[in-house]
Amino acid sequence: MAPYYIADSDLPKFLSWLEKRGDVYVTTKDDEGRVRIRPYSEAGQFTWPGVRSYQPLKPFFFSMLEEVAEYPSRESSFKESKPFAIVGASACDVRAVEALDRVFLEGDFKDPFYEERRKKSLIVSADCTDPLETCFCVLVGVKPHAEKGFDLNLSKVQGGYVVEVGSDKGKEVTAANTGLFRPAGEQHLAERQATRQKTLKLVEQQSREFAPPKPWQELLAKAYDDNTWAKNVETCVECGACLFICPTCQCFLLYDEKARDRYKRLKMWDACAYKRFAQVAGGANPRKHLVERFKHRYYHKLDYFPKNYGFEGCTGCGRCIVACPGKIDMRKVLKEVCR
Amino acid sequence: MPVAGDIYKPILSEILEVIEESPAIKTFVLRPSEEIPFEAGQFMEVTVPGLGEAPFTPSSNPKVTETLEFTIMRAGKVTGVLHTMKKGDMVGVRGPMGKGYPLDTYKGKEILIVGGGVGLAPLRSLFLALTNRLDDFKKILFCYGSKTSQDIIYKSLILDQWQKLNPSKIEFRLSVDVGDPAWKGNVGVVTTVVKDLGLDMANSVAVVCGPPIMMKFATLKLVELGFPDNVIYLSMEKNMSCGIGKCGHCMLDEYMVCRDGPVLTYDKIKGKPAIWD
Repeated sequence: MAPYYIADSDLPKFLSWLEKRGDVYVTTKDDEGRVRIRPYSEAGQFTWPGVRSYQPLKPFFFSMLEEVAEYPSRESSFKESKPFAIVGASACDVRAVEALDRVFLEGDFKDPFYEERRKKSLIVSADCTDPLETCFCVLVGVKPHAEKGFDLNLSKVQGGYVVEVGSDKGKEVTAANTGLFRPAGEQHLAERQATRQKTLKLVEQQSREFAPPKPWQELLAKAYDDNTWAKNVETCVECGACLFICPTCQCFLLYDEKARDRYKRLKMWDACAYKRFAQVAGGANPRKHLVERFKHRYYHKLDYFPKNYGFEGCTGCGRCIVACPGKIDMRKVLKEVCR
Repeated sequence: MPVAGDIYKPILSEILEVIEESPAIKTFVLRPSEEIPFEAGQFMEVTVPGLGEAPFTPSSNPKVTETLEFTIMRAGKVTGVLHTMKKGDMVGVRGPMGKGYPLDTYKGKEILIVGGGVGLAPLRSLFLALTNRLDDFKKILFCYGSKTSQDIIYKSLILDQWQKLNPSKIEFRLSVDVGDPAWKGNVGVVTTVVKDLGLDMANSVAVVCGPPIMMKFATLKLVELGFPDNVIYLSMEKNMSCGIGKCGHCMLDEYMVCRDGPVLTYDKIKGKPAIWD
């Protein structure tokens, strides 16, 4: 489908139209210049993000804490959700949603809570133009602009945006607003191409020193017993911040509690860094030591996940680097253990 | 498994009977409020209301669908409370989940079963499933070990009834780690009876279930005896929480044990770190 163009002045009209269809969340910037995703009704306007938001998209689909069952009861905890749109998602976060889709929607059992919210979501991504120093998407097969996985994608150009349609849902919402979208012109596409090239180069340049000489899986196959893992884990305080902030971390636990005459089952985020995460009742624990749990994250993202789904479970968003109180930088760790 | 939105909701089940198997092991006979068909080796999550779930493989015959039996050792929080529950109490059951024993691929073969301790629970379900269609298999050699003769579970079955089923086709070898005057059988860990098998190795499969240390040494013994890695079926015990391949707790490298197992062949996990922990 040929890309569209929407003028700066027409975008608010489109967002207002989206608001009639459901909730709308847009990127804004906080006092410290960080990109935040907030309800459009509060933010008042969409701000060009330039880079991934501070928080990932994960909580929109996979709640930090939610009730998934009550018993004994005929009632279901499953509830239909309202349609919603997220405008300004980064390419790496679009990739993260693709990763979570595979986990929660594939196989014999789908997670109905995740599925419902994914069905009701409209993801409008935005090309990165101002990568952070911690961005390394290009090292894990992601580009600073999304090529798939979005419903609509925005690229900032003079006077407006080039709008790429990536799904039937995207087609529907543009078709309902033909007055706002017109075919993108040659000069718009050329400008998009130039900006994308510039950003890509920037991320490539800052990632060069960490670039793997061979595919990650090949390198990690030989790195498990490397003696520098222990040194790299020294500043880890097992807080789990890297995992909770991670856009693809999927782990959760089921927790039951009493609620008057019945019981509720809650599903809440969990973290594989915690000592008893994999322990069984008899006491056996496959990852007793912190260094084993530390390695598990790297291997899950760059070896186990690709073995299951064919692409990296890390998107290179760099949030774990920013979140770590121990200043652990995934790029540096990988460079050292895979040297 | 309930459909649509109720994937995490347990099916209420009444405890019909509690059988004491050994000082630390009890069998719970349950009647679920709806039938839960399963295959031998698949597992279910049993809920103690308000406390939480723990994963167990049923020990009953998969042919029987109105009731389910779970043989459970007192080990942690959930099993601790389960052991205080009585006839008439209600628990929850969610499942079945995972992949069981691929019995169709065992057709025409000789089957070696090696069990230890409470690991006999899933093996009982397997054994009953095998006897449901005994003509399909050439031979069953069942080796079972427990700490002492007191710790043997299903005594009336394994010491008596099962031995009389079809002695020409089904052989039992029992062992206890520590002997006592009344025990006339073998004394030693179960691997001491896993020898001189008299099996046609080219046409055999082996099934192992028991505590981690026993699984490890039994597997090494089977490899030493010439069993190819891909016919050694191991019941892996991991922390299965969601049971549906999502929550990450039971990961064994790239495998979600709940989704890809709990029965896995040795070739898949050989050499991976900490498989026996």
